[in-house]
Amino acid sequence: MAIVDQQRDSRIDLTGDVRRRRREAVVKALFFTAAAISILISVAIVLALIGKAWAFLNSIELDQLWGNGWFPRRGRFDLSALLVHTMMVTGIAMLVAVPFGLGSAIYLSEYARSGVRRVLKPTLEILAGIPSVVLGFFALQFITPNVVRGLYPGAQSANFLAAGIAVGILTIPLVASVSEDAMRAVPYSLREASYGLGAKQWHTALRVVFPAAISGIIAAVILGISRAVGETMVVALAAGLNGIMTFNPTEGGLTMTGAIANLAVGSDQVAGDVAAFQSLFFVGLVLFVLTLGLNVISGRIVRRYRQRY
Amino acid sequence: MTADTDVVTTTELVRQSIEGRRFSPFNALVAFALLFTLLSSVVILVTLLADTIAAALPVFATRGLDFVTASLSPRADSAGIWQAIMGSLALTGFVIAVAFPFGVAAAVYLEEYASDNRVTRFINANIRNLAGVPSIVYGILGLFLFVEILMRGVFGASEGIAGRNVVAGGLTLAVLVLPIMIITTSEALRAVPGGLREASLAVGATRWETIRHHVLPVAIPAILTGSVLTIARAFGESAPLLLAGAQLSLFFSVSSDASFADLMLTQPYTALPIVVFNFARQPQAEFVSLTAASIVVLLVMLLTVNAAAVLARDRYERRYR
Amino acid sequence: MKSRIVRLLGLAVVLALVAAACDIDGGGDMTTTVAGAGTTSAPDTTEPSAEPTTSIEGGGVDLSGSIVVSGSSTVEPITARVGEAFDGANPGVATSVEGPGTGDGFARFCAGETDISDASRPISEEEIATCEGAGISYVELHIATDGLTVLTSLENEAVSCLGFTDLYALLGPESEGFANWSDANELAAELSAPNAPYPEEPLVITAPGEESGTYDTFVEFVIADISEERLGEGNDFTRADYNASANDNVIVQGITENPTSLGWVGFAFYEANQDVLKALEVDNGESGCVTPTAETIASFEYPLSRPLFIYVNTSDLANRPELTAFVDYYLSDEGLAAVADAGYVQLPAEDIGATRAAWTGAMG
Repeated sequence: MAIVDQQRDSRIDLTGDVRRRRREAVVKALFFTAAAISILISVAIVLALIGKAWAFLNSIELDQLWGNGWFPRRGRFDLSALLVHTMMVTGIAMLVAVPFGLGSAIYLSEYARSGVRRVLKPTLEILAGIPSVVLGFFALQFITPNVVRGLYPGAQSANFLAAGIAVGILTIPLVASVSEDAMRAVPYSLREASYGLGAKQWHTALRVVFPAAISGIIAAVILGISRAVGETMVVALAAGLNGIMTFNPTEGGLTMTGAIANLAVGSDQVAGDVAAFQSLFFVGLVLFVLTLGLNVISGRIVRRYRQRY
Repeated sequence: MTADTDVVTTTELVRQSIEGRRFSPFNALVAFALLFTLLSSVVILVTLLADTIAAALPVFATRGLDFVTASLSPRADSAGIWQAIMGSLALTGFVIAVAFPFGVAAAVYLEEYASDNRVTRFINANIRNLAGVPSIVYGILGLFLFVEILMRGVFGASEGIAGRNVVAGGLTLAVLVLPIMIITTSEALRAVPGGLREASLAVGATRWETIRHHVLPVAIPAILTGSVLTIARAFGESAPLLLAGAQLSLFFSVSSDASFADLMLTQPYTALPIVVFNFARQPQAEFVSLTAASIVVLLVMLLTVNAAAVLARDRYERRYR
Repeated sequence: MKSRIVRLLGLAVVLALVAAACDIDGGGDMTTTVAGAGTTSAPDTTEPSAEPTTSIEGGGVDLSGSIVVSGSSTVEPITARVGEAFDGANPGVATSVEGPGTGDGFARFCAGETDISDASRPISEEEIATCEGAGISYVELHIATDGLTVLTSLENEAVSCLGFTDLYALLGPESEGFANWSDANELAAELSAPNAPYPEEPLVITAPGEESGTYDTFVEFVIADISEERLGEGNDFTRADYNASANDNVIVQGITENPTSLGWVGFAFYEANQDVLKALEVDNGESGCVTPTAETIASFEYPLSRPLFIYVNTSDLANRPELTAFVDYYLSDEGLAAVADAGYVQLPAEDIGATRAAWTGAMG
């Protein structure tokens, strides 16, 4: 009898107090709900955009979307003009952000002593925290009169060059921080091996570390592009309202975000089925798909080209 | 921080012992070029601040604090940003109240409870993508979901501002900031050593007890500093509010006998970055210095919050390393 | 340490919400002191408009509710001043005045979202139909007059006066691509424009964009008839290839920067920048070239004079005492003083009387 009792007792129930288990289950369910909300948000964004964008597309002829300028209140919905203008601003922004961002990242990661780092790195963090309206104002008040007009005296007061430079300034910290993280993730043994083989510091930094981190750096650039494409307030203030496609950076015009902002500032007629207002959702959808695509590509590149150290 | 410096020093020692004291002009050139790019950012920042402060000085010199305490007015010499500051603070309160608990809870689930399967990876990828969506798209979401469906549909708001209230604006900003909050909290949780969790579980604690008593206390400093920085970012956002219903006007007033519920649901509001945008669009030359002055106030408020967060982070990093 | 941070954060949240609750409109008391400060520094403020205590009929602190105004950014400064003064005496009313543009303002008005629509042009046929369809009755009140001033640079000696046909030749739908003034010579000759031929100088145009009533008015006065005659209906637009801006300051800047520029703004903005702009005289077809001044605009001798309106939703006036009080105040002498304060041209006495009569009629 005693031996059988012992065998039964050895299978001790470890599951514990019912209350504790219930609390555990409740807490887990709560947290799961919170996480699920993030999916719901994505779904909500897509729903918000697709419904009205579809209604818009149904209410216009598809050939209205190409050519003739973006004048929604006149029924001219030239998406190509918006795309070209967006690319111009983004292109100019990248011409500013990539050299300055990458250069800063390489310096901070490979050259800077800790004292210098402690002083200069916060500058980038402060720059990252400056709201975009401030940069938009800066573009209007400083960049256009001094920089743009300095180079091209005949430039219009609203121009892509000023807006692009301002967006570039906004993007420098993003490119710099993501590239710097990528470069600092490269093991120091690689650097030491490089020095051991006789390479100089610049050779190590540019020909060893930089290529090793290239996937992260490309990801940084693509993230920068995505940020520049989605920037609204700078272009709303500094890039102008011109709806006709132009390739001249000293002129201005509506980008995708500028077009949305312009429609937003004009009307909040949510329930309206006016095509002009609904075009806002359509452009929003294009913008969403574009930035989403860029972000996904950036993630893919990191995974595919990450060097195995 | 200390660990990093040690490693850099080792590599530096290696480099110096091999290269010796030979001066390489090309290396110096490259170093200088790279330093130039970094210093350019400093120069740009300084120019931006100096230019703005210079433009703002006349306003503070002639009107002093009155600029901060007065209400909006179409007359440049009496326009003030008090309503904007209050609106921004209210919106920030909303963001803290909504995004912080949801963000931390979601991150806790994803890091502590969820197993590493396709669903979890999908959710994580989804959150990363959401963090990269332009803020104006969140404005469209806010307009559709919070103003139209929630306020006008569910609550039936149709008079006055018809749903363009602080709650809708605050929810829009909270949704904007939520993915970033989840990501920063996830990183903070990941930084907690796994041994801590394992030890706690080994002595019989449940998952939740482990999180609550061991993981969270270690992660909270990083979570809080990350959250503060995220909230500071929400403070400076204006694009979503353009769509979600902040007043873009030279004048508006709130009813003096509005209850708290009224203020939240039926009274117009605005935010400081929106007022900056509106001032910047005005044709009268006097509004240029008003814009600059509002920017100065905005930057001061932001820098204070950021500085507090950075100081707290430094303090806690030293403690917990 | 952790609990201290949590407590601080909690305190911050509570403070933020409490502060917002107590004082979203904290400036309410400040208007009086600020108005006092205004008298000493600004020479053009008419302080009586900030202290309207005696003139509001049936008003005072007992009024509550809300008034939502939207529409023309040209009229916005007037309505905003009236709103500010009205709010000083009626703090219980929530007032909101925005200026997205005349067209967008009407869209909101005819959807029932606003109580008053500011407009720098009369309501159009489509808009009337939309309002009728939505069951919204309204009254049109003419409250001020503005002149569209055609501008060029001070350095432009060659051009001093332009007629409507000149303007059509330079700015109309058929002029897209004209990079020089002289490119329009052929078209101008066709139209027998009085001031052609034009010099061979670059034609740099900076002007309002199409969401503004200023643009609409220009098109209506200058472009519409000629374009309909020549091109048929649906072509009443300007050329699209110019530097459009919603910001008159930008337009003024654009005009001053180019020696042979062309554009147009409202008279108020021209007046404020008279020292750097040259106003072109406009040929009114009868008495010849007329310079825009307050007198010529008020008398409509200047051909590009446009009336400024507010459209008031009269569908439910009986239940909206605050709206009635607001419009009463707007049309009173103190209220209309905002017109001059904002830089526009006051109506002559009989026109003010007509507007007041229209309002009284709509109220009853």
